[in-house]
Amino acid sequence: MKKVILASGAALMLTMGAAQAQEKTLTISVYAFAQDEFKQLVYDPFEKICGCKLVVETGNSVERLAKLEANKANPMVDMAVVSMADALAASRAGLIDKVDTAKLSNFNKIYDVAKDPNGDGMSVGYTFYATSIAYRSDKMKIESWADLLKPEYASHIAWPNVTTNQGPPALYMLGLALGKDTPDLAAPIEAVGEKKGEIVTFYEKSSQLVQLMQQEEIWAAPIGRFSWAPFTKLDMPIAWANPKEGQTGGMNVMVVTKGSKNRELALQFMDFWLSTDTQTKLAEKLIDSPANKEVKLSDAIANNLTYGEETAKSLKLIPSAVALDNRAGWVKTWNEKVGQ
Amino acid sequence: MSARSLFIPLTLFLVLGFLIGPFLIIVAASFSGGETLAFPPQGFSLRWILKVFTVESFRASFGMSMFLAIGGTAAALMLGIPASYALSRYKLPGAEIVRTVVSAPIIVPGIIVGLALLRYIVVPFQVGITPALFLAHTALVLPYAVRVVSASLDNLRSDIEEAAVLLGSSRLGAFFRVVMPNIRGGILSAFILGFVTSFNQVPVSLFLSGPGVRTLPIDMIAYMEIVFDPSVAALSSLLAFLSIGIVFAAERFLGFSRYV
Amino acid sequence: MFQNRAEALALALPAAFFAAAVFLMPVAILLSDGFRNPVGGWTISAYTDFFADPLNRTVFLRTLRLGAIVTVVSAVLGYAAAFAIVNLEPGTKGKMTGLVVLPLMISPVARTYAWIVILGRTGIVNQALQLVGLTDAPLRILFSETAVFVGLLQLFLPLMIISLISALENMPKDAVPAARVLGANWFQVFWKVILPLTKEGLVIGGTLVFTGSLTAYITPAILGGSKVLMLETLLYQQVSVSNNFVSASVIAFILIVMSFAANILLKRVATARNKQRVPQ
Repeated sequence: MKKVILASGAALMLTMGAAQAQEKTLTISVYAFAQDEFKQLVYDPFEKICGCKLVVETGNSVERLAKLEANKANPMVDMAVVSMADALAASRAGLIDKVDTAKLSNFNKIYDVAKDPNGDGMSVGYTFYATSIAYRSDKMKIESWADLLKPEYASHIAWPNVTTNQGPPALYMLGLALGKDTPDLAAPIEAVGEKKGEIVTFYEKSSQLVQLMQQEEIWAAPIGRFSWAPFTKLDMPIAWANPKEGQTGGMNVMVVTKGSKNRELALQFMDFWLSTDTQTKLAEKLIDSPANKEVKLSDAIANNLTYGEETAKSLKLIPSAVALDNRAGWVKTWNEKVGQ
Repeated sequence: MSARSLFIPLTLFLVLGFLIGPFLIIVAASFSGGETLAFPPQGFSLRWILKVFTVESFRASFGMSMFLAIGGTAAALMLGIPASYALSRYKLPGAEIVRTVVSAPIIVPGIIVGLALLRYIVVPFQVGITPALFLAHTALVLPYAVRVVSASLDNLRSDIEEAAVLLGSSRLGAFFRVVMPNIRGGILSAFILGFVTSFNQVPVSLFLSGPGVRTLPIDMIAYMEIVFDPSVAALSSLLAFLSIGIVFAAERFLGFSRYV
Repeated sequence: MFQNRAEALALALPAAFFAAAVFLMPVAILLSDGFRNPVGGWTISAYTDFFADPLNRTVFLRTLRLGAIVTVVSAVLGYAAAFAIVNLEPGTKGKMTGLVVLPLMISPVARTYAWIVILGRTGIVNQALQLVGLTDAPLRILFSETAVFVGLLQLFLPLMIISLISALENMPKDAVPAARVLGANWFQVFWKVILPLTKEGLVIGGTLVFTGSLTAYITPAILGGSKVLMLETLLYQQVSVSNNFVSASVIAFILIVMSFAANILLKRVATARNKQRVPQ
């Protein structure tokens, strides 16, 4: 018995060693979402072009940033896609380098707003998303962000936790609706805090919302457009709100890590991802809204994405610097008013 | 009297229902035709069971979890069996300290183990992700290995091997010829317990997994962060039936429950 | 007993050294971070800061409370279930023990998700309550301490039952009938005979359940969410979201102290009993 265990252990060790000894590899760090599609549309085709091996780390933006920080001295990741604000945080923490855009043949095809979102040359936007409210149109009517907190609705909603990417933008829009949109988000946090007993949950993973919606646990929740598709499969009348204050959202960006040994390969990969062909394919599967202006989409697809430069520009985004400078304060106020 | 004689079995029935109920729901949901976890399931289909086998990351992380569970437990036993033997058969100086040190990983929360290893072993010594996970899982299983093997050594009378030594056998020879055959069941039980512990371990691996290397439970959580369909239920059912099969066989042939 | 010290050390040291190097040392360094003064020297200011924050106090008390309740409830249910099981026919006994162990074989991730379905507004529990007429509208159970309690209880109750089964089996067979003959009622039998004779099993089970409840991560994360933060989920949040390693170290130390305190407390109770038994 023991011999068998030893032998199988040794065999496993050997195969793993062999796998590690392979030619050049590019390690990327991405959002965990739609990985099967990304593999088919982006990773596999790129591996064929570059003759290299892609190693993929997945997770949400904040968690992966924490890992980049932990491995700062010996970076394992060559390129990462993160939120705009996290890109600025990474840049301030000295985790990333300037993007050599001259090496990106598709750079001039992307929208101007995506070319250098933080104005520091450290990141390039590759997709936008709108954030608005998914809601049961048979149970409620949403015309303003403040409608969510109405007494008859509050006990049927989920609100994004302040620590998620959707949290601050949703609070910002609530602030606009309340007419008190200071950068410290004090008024909207206070308003949410007053309803904290009624609100079903302060969600951290948007995938859970589909389950909660299906169980009629909730009727509405602010979500990003990228998590919209599964809601359309439910056997319920669920609508995407168009509140009078507008929609908020975010931009996801690509960065290259400082000390990466595969800089050229990382840039080649980014260029491939930004190409019209790749961006079109990702959009047609409703995965990522394009940042490349040459992408042409049918109306049916465009309606389920955040499509077009005008739409992208109309999103009310929180500037990265504001987000970063206030983040600790938001969390503190949130913990005081909502957390307990 | 009759009220009491009814009360105890009724409690057992309710407790078992409470313990097994969620499992039945998971199994039922695996065969669901709907898009989300629901009970009663919406229709019947095998598509979620089949989908499990098509998700590529599940295959890779299943392999990783198997490697960690088998390799880590084997390593823990190789460290743990001699230590248990020393603890149970020798006057060991500082026996209590040794016992505390090797069983400490049970008491310290897994998330702390993972974080501490990441910050003070993995990063400073540039340990790769797989070896780091391997070390962590070995340390985690070690307490179980020592506990179960010690228990079966304590149940075995020590005068047999003392007699063997007196009759001229070397101590090592006595161990392999007299002791090992008698504690084989205990070792296998320790192996199964360690395997299950390691295989289902989440918090330690949470910080230690990295690019391209993930254990199955971590992969399941990551999958559910993005997609919330019954395929995770299907995967869990498959794994549960696999574990049940192993334990059933072990109980059948070795009397597993005597040692746990 | 063999007397050769060198041999004994050679056998025991590899395991001890491994655990010390891979486990104790890094954990000790991590814990020391919480006592380090940024300007040099040592301080407990991180701890006073931690407890000065009302949110942290709430989370600490909640963790302690839930851990204690889960332990007590699992002891009560555990005794009933274990008592029923040991009195069964040998064959049935094995099968029932198997059913108790069964949940331990299933991924905690999946087990926790099953509770979302069961405890939801349209779940079985709410349907049953409305059917019986106990409630008119569905109760909100998810994302509450109740949900976390239920999840933790299901996770750790098997450990308590198993510990108590082996304790009850080691009890002298005639102890209970003898007490009955002497006129003790069932409450007295339990309190004066069964409990003292099975305390050791209760201690082992209790430590496993309490420590398990403190250190569970998935159950509070999924069934409680950010509305029912516990120390373990707070720790993860501090590291992954706030990048606050000092605070994480403080929470880690508190968790370990709580685990050890429970272990020592329960062990005390057991040794007190052992001393009583020696003179017999």
